[in-house]
Amino acid sequence: MVEEMTRQRIEPGSKDKALEGLLKRLQGLEIPADAICWRRFFGSMILVLLTLLFLSGVLMAFFYSPVPGTAYDSVDHLQFNLPMGNLLRGVHHYAWNLLLIVMGFHLFRAFILGAYKAPRQLVWISGVSFFLIIPLFIITGDLLPWDQKGYWSTQVRLSIIGSIPVVGDLLVQMFRGGPLTGIVALTRFYILHILLLPGALIFLIAFHLYALVTRGLSGPLSGNGTPRPRAPFFPVIVNRWLLLFIVSAIGLGIMAWRWPAPLGDPADPTDSSFIPRPEWWVLFLNQLVTIFKGPLMIIGSAIIPGGLLVLMTALPFLDRSPERRPWRRKRVMIIAIVIIAVLTVLSVMGYIEHFVRPEH
Amino acid sequence: MRKQMFLGMTMCLTLSIIGVFFFSGSVAGAAKQNLIATYLKVAPTGLDDGVWGKIKALEVPFDGKEKFAGKKTALTTKAVYTDKEIYFWFTWKDGTMSLTKEAWKYDGQTWSHLKGDEDRIALLFEINRINNFATKGCAIVCHVPQGAPNAKDGKFGTSTEAEKGDLWHWKAARSDPAGYADDGYLTKISDTKGGRKGDSGKGGDKQNMTEDKSKPMYMLAPGKKLGKNGIMLAADAVEITDYKVFKPGDVITYRMPVAAEGSFADIKAVSRYSDGAWTVMLSRKLDTGHDDDVAFNPQRKYSFAMALFDDSKDQDSYDSETLTLEFKR
Repeated sequence: MVEEMTRQRIEPGSKDKALEGLLKRLQGLEIPADAICWRRFFGSMILVLLTLLFLSGVLMAFFYSPVPGTAYDSVDHLQFNLPMGNLLRGVHHYAWNLLLIVMGFHLFRAFILGAYKAPRQLVWISGVSFFLIIPLFIITGDLLPWDQKGYWSTQVRLSIIGSIPVVGDLLVQMFRGGPLTGIVALTRFYILHILLLPGALIFLIAFHLYALVTRGLSGPLSGNGTPRPRAPFFPVIVNRWLLLFIVSAIGLGIMAWRWPAPLGDPADPTDSSFIPRPEWWVLFLNQLVTIFKGPLMIIGSAIIPGGLLVLMTALPFLDRSPERRPWRRKRVMIIAIVIIAVLTVLSVMGYIEHFVRPEH
Repeated sequence: MRKQMFLGMTMCLTLSIIGVFFFSGSVAGAAKQNLIATYLKVAPTGLDDGVWGKIKALEVPFDGKEKFAGKKTALTTKAVYTDKEIYFWFTWKDGTMSLTKEAWKYDGQTWSHLKGDEDRIALLFEINRINNFATKGCAIVCHVPQGAPNAKDGKFGTSTEAEKGDLWHWKAARSDPAGYADDGYLTKISDTKGGRKGDSGKGGDKQNMTEDKSKPMYMLAPGKKLGKNGIMLAADAVEITDYKVFKPGDVITYRMPVAAEGSFADIKAVSRYSDGAWTVMLSRKLDTGHDDDVAFNPQRKYSFAMALFDDSKDQDSYDSETLTLEFKR
């Protein structure tokens, strides 16, 4: 039930200038009217959250000092001494947490409805790529406040990366730039966080949207191939997006005001007694590393997560039947349910181990 | 369509709320103790205010140092705050109520100092961040020269001008009778001196001693009464003109508490010794507006450490690990 979902109303042979042409193309863009519903707002929400992350990140960068001796103080000063600093950091903090959840819902919905199937394989693959790049944002951003949690979480992550055979040490060396996590590491993480990764993300978003425009949105499961009613992208979608942006910004702002973003104690590299607790989104990964210890660590740290990512990326090529109805795709659904169940159990185990009855 | 948009927004907000439960919890991993200051609309009236019975207590372990090395003790503390002030409540076991602080005793012929010190509790907060104080506590501000045999040879202070601590020092004999805890601050040590200073203003205690240090210089002024726990306040003292009025066995306060003023007077104290335990309440404005005080912002957390002194000098103490003070509404 795949069909071309977009249609351009621009006249062929137009000699408009580039910007004017782009605006006209946007004005002329149409999307299926059935796509405007609450079940399909996750993509827009992701764009809203990424915009909020970008804006809050840029504003925070004006006050941040990427040097171990002053990084913590600059974040502390921003959050607690500057007007609205608390909101700024809080919105940034809650936005990335919410982003992971919304991305999960977005992926889950696309999977259930078979939206990865031809001709939208590139939409799916570029979407899965977000799950590679967003965690890198979180990992690099985690070190920037230079607090105990960020510092020691980074140490744990680097030790896991270091356990990867052949390339592990090289990767750690690239990230850290020396034997210790210090000023070089902080500078590299900062550059990655504010320059290289955003660049890669913008490219990925552009590619994802391009693939979406050229390959079309997935239609309803009950579609019979007849042309679907259409709605103009501008102003219908744009206005709804702006409304979503405003509501999200206010909602996250209230959360940031009520529950300030956590800022732990300043990093103390000599305090090896500090054992960081894993964040919720890596509980299953952490548990895998706990299960596969010593020489088997590679299985939990690289083989299983890497295999899962490869499986997700290759899904459109593994499940090539045109059938999109979930109840007719039993084999794929059972495999997915098993994987989700295992990840959930691992996360629950990790939660119990680290939060319910921590030994440390 | 509007209904669907409304449902969409509701779902978005629901997700946010779910997120709060996931993310607002601490993800730090250290076993650092947290003292939660609970918000109150009305300030507690004293040690026996019923509100203290409703506030969750924190048991803080202390390890002995120097004279008390190898010994352990513990303290129970609670904290509350209002829109303007913060209140700490402490109680700890202490078999002896020590207030002597080298008081003068007359044996009929000469004056001599009684043996004995006083009980104290000290708190140290950060005004400006003290490097590694959050993890190492008071040890980081105690600079004992390499090879020095005793901690008393050390200097108390920070390593740089930028680092600054706020020292609250309740003294059973020298500050409590005046209704205050000494308000001091900690700054960089110099080559010759430690970095411990008193806040601006007036306070502390005045030594009751003649120039030749052989006898007391002051006695209780006629019509005045001794202060709390039999301590003579400086404000109630008058210069001794005739030493013949004293009988053998008479005792006179040596360190007379001075009524505090200015920034030195920021920390108010009330206390009681009963059933072999001290109970002390310290209170202060959240933000005094003084550079030599930590300004508490209820949205952030503060590292602090405590020390107990049981009839002992500065180097002989029971020290706590670093704790975190957190404000909760």
